Amino acid sequence: MNLNVFLSSIRNNPWVTPVTVMALVLGALLAISLKTQQTIRSASLPSNRFSGLAAAYRDQQEQLKMANEEISKLRERTTQYENEMASASEKAKLLNDSLQEAKFLAGLTPVEGPGIEVILQDSKKRPPANSPIDIENYIIHDSDLQRVVNELHAAGAEAVAINGQRIIANTAIRCVGPTVQVNSIALSSPYVIQAIGDPETLASALNLPQGVLADIQALDPNMVKIVKKNKIQIPAYTGSLVFRYAKPVVATPGGSAQEEKENGSR
Amino acid sequence: MNWLPVIALLIGFFVFYFVPLELPSDYAPYLSLAALSGLDSILGGIRAGVEGKFHVDVFVSGFIFNTLLAALLAYLGDQIGVDLFLAAVVTLGGRMFLNLSLIRRYYLTQWNISRQRDTERT
Repeated sequence: MNLNVFLSSIRNNPWVTPVTVMALVLGALLAISLKTQQTIRSASLPSNRFSGLAAAYRDQQEQLKMANEEISKLRERTTQYENEMASASEKAKLLNDSLQEAKFLAGLTPVEGPGIEVILQDSKKRPPANSPIDIENYIIHDSDLQRVVNELHAAGAEAVAINGQRIIANTAIRCVGPTVQVNSIALSSPYVIQAIGDPETLASALNLPQGVLADIQALDPNMVKIVKKNKIQIPAYTGSLVFRYAKPVVATPGGSAQEEKENGSR
Repeated sequence: MNWLPVIALLIGFFVFYFVPLELPSDYAPYLSLAALSGLDSILGGIRAGVEGKFHVDVFVSGFIFNTLLAALLAYLGDQIGVDLFLAAVVTLGGRMFLNLSLIRRYYLTQWNISRQRDTERT
């Protein structure tokens, strides 16, 4: 009986059938749309806020850049003051010399000299269909950067920076989402690694057969570019330098500092 | 009253809701707009049907073209940095309200007529 009602309505109204068919399509559209929106809501931010967030992100980056410039300016001025103070007496001069050396070693001063530039970038190629090679291999990863920096240090590089981020003693190179963070600053491909040292030695260390870049170069030679340069400028480290846990060990007469500590805790 | 389109809408919705098919989230706004445009076309079709001005070719081509056009316009707006998305939402929303009110009026009149007939018969 119920079916008869539908049949008669179709017969009496020619518009019902096409509208019904399209309503089916519309239901599908609505369902897919709703599901996609749900995934977006659960996985990330609402899509309609992207443009606002992008602007805020740009502002923050601009501020960060200005703050970093401020830091390097202030650190430069500190060096100036230290030098001025040193001119006062011979002892202060000696102290200042060792201070400047320590800062130079710590990567707190911009440096220049001969060296090489290594440019690593994600491949534009895609793995051929049915190839066992993963697409991941066509992307530069944090591990690639780590290996290159390590190899450069091993070959005698005296100062290294990735995209302007100076590598210092406690620099971490790690993968965060689609970017690689160096000194907690997000960088993305192409990665320009600058290293000061003997250009020939550095370049040949990277070009060793079975070396750190061999795998990538075999896949796509365009991912790696090595340029020797007569003069490279590497900026100073501008990040935070606060040590909260490590304290210098003070040697005391009649026993090492370690023993002192243990006695104290008993 | 014809409930067939509503039933079909629900069937289509639930079938696709449980089918594991999903678009990349980049296209989500365009898909939403396409769905909105589809809804507008359906309401327009029902309105034309109850007014006796329904043409299959106009309806089907309108549904497909409007859906694609809405998504395309929104995409174009995104590319050139103009919120054409909003223009589409306002236009479609306004038309949907208009169509819905006309449909409501038609069925209300029908209901009133049938009620009058009933009272006359008794």
